[in-house]
Amino acid sequence: MKRSTLNVMLVALLLCMASLTSAAKVGEAAPDFTATASNGKAVHLADYRGKYVVLEWHNNGCPYVGKHYKSGNMQRLQKQWTSQGVIWFTILSSAPGNQGYVTASEENDYLAKMQAAPTAALLDPSGQIGHLYDAKTSPQMIVINPQGVVIYSGAIDDKPTTDLDGVPGATNYVNRALEQAMAGKPVETPATRPYGCSVKYGD
Amino acid sequence: MRACNRNSVLYSALARGLALLLSTASAQAGSTPITHGTLELVAENQWIAPGQKFDLGLHFQLEKGWHIYWINPGDSGEPPRVEWQLPQGVTAGVIEWPTPHRLESPTIMDFGYENAVTLIVPMQPDASLAAQHSVQFGASVKLLVCSHEMCIPGKAQLSLALPIKSQPPPSDPRTADLFAGARKSLPLPMPGNWKIKVADRKDSFVLTANIGHQTTQAVFFPLVESQIENTAPQKLVSLASGFQLTLRKSDQLLKPIQRLKGVLTLSTDRAYLIDVPLRKARSSSGTE
Repeated sequence: MKRSTLNVMLVALLLCMASLTSAAKVGEAAPDFTATASNGKAVHLADYRGKYVVLEWHNNGCPYVGKHYKSGNMQRLQKQWTSQGVIWFTILSSAPGNQGYVTASEENDYLAKMQAAPTAALLDPSGQIGHLYDAKTSPQMIVINPQGVVIYSGAIDDKPTTDLDGVPGATNYVNRALEQAMAGKPVETPATRPYGCSVKYGD
Repeated sequence: MRACNRNSVLYSALARGLALLLSTASAQAGSTPITHGTLELVAENQWIAPGQKFDLGLHFQLEKGWHIYWINPGDSGEPPRVEWQLPQGVTAGVIEWPTPHRLESPTIMDFGYENAVTLIVPMQPDASLAAQHSVQFGASVKLLVCSHEMCIPGKAQLSLALPIKSQPPPSDPRTADLFAGARKSLPLPMPGNWKIKVADRKDSFVLTANIGHQTTQAVFFPLVESQIENTAPQKLVSLASGFQLTLRKSDQLLKPIQRLKGVLTLSTDRAYLIDVPLRKARSSSGTE
């Protein structure tokens, strides 16, 4: 009896430690989360098992994010992949008072104005999801496969600048990862340095 | 160690302020406003002599709480970039980057500069340059300025006029302190008597330094991105004649590296440039 109680406690402790220290790593299970979207709906990551999921860290004031929205590149990617059944979550981890923090209605206005088309924009002002995935920059990108495993984490492409003319001709790592994984191939570049602005967490 | 750093920055800021106060009629163009600060193109010497290398400087003065980035910005950000418009017969060298500071938050580690910093850029004029009353130097600078709360891109177009004379150029007293301060903050070449080995382990690089005396404090700044985990603590073991530093490999490091390059700081005023070939673990040889 005593021993089994101890075992249960040990398992609980290990699970607790895992949830505290496990930042999403390529090749490992994507940590689950529940979040509120800007459209008011609750989103539970585990509900999307069986589909590819893209996570996009967003901060509307960050010039690197601006490059991809002003050029229409991010919206193009969102439309291209969601039309093929990929789930796309834009995640906003800026703390209140910091650059990129918006209310739900401000985010909805932004999505409409930019003609953005993610599956949903998830509000994460506490930074919980950001920390769970160890998101360091906006726009950091993460790709999760239908088995719930992280297959890509890093930059959106290979042009780490704020110049709009850096978009055409860039190698897009998210496209590469999705295309290669869908073709049953291993992802050639599964991790890169996620360029951009630091995520404006409120520590 | 931080306080000491701040003092030296404060000192150079004071010296700079004093120099500005003392200068009235100026061949220096003056500072240009940038996002949350100012930027100025400065010359160390009063004129250019044909064939004689000289230094220009990009002097950044930032508002409190704002920073710019080192050549390896760390987890986020981007270093300043400069495009030169030079007089005919002058070629620009590369930026000499001062030892950076750690700009850390619990989850992000960046490398850069707060307060004030001068980036020295060496210039080489042709020996055949003819004496002239004044030639123009232009610099288009693009940069990212960040605080903990936000990042803002900046741009500046700087200019500076200098004469060309055949006599050896005296240094400009208005910028002497600035250049002296900037040189002091450059990492030094590795001393010839140092012996540094880097072992390539599964999850880490283990740097063992024999520098002739016991060392209790060392920080490594990688010159190349995505080699080590910037936020991971650098575990130091003090040795009788040096130290051992364990650097966790970056998750983004997908291919083996041949050399480890970076800046090693032993105390606030001593930093050294190191470039060391890696020693592979014997058991893992054969795979490339």
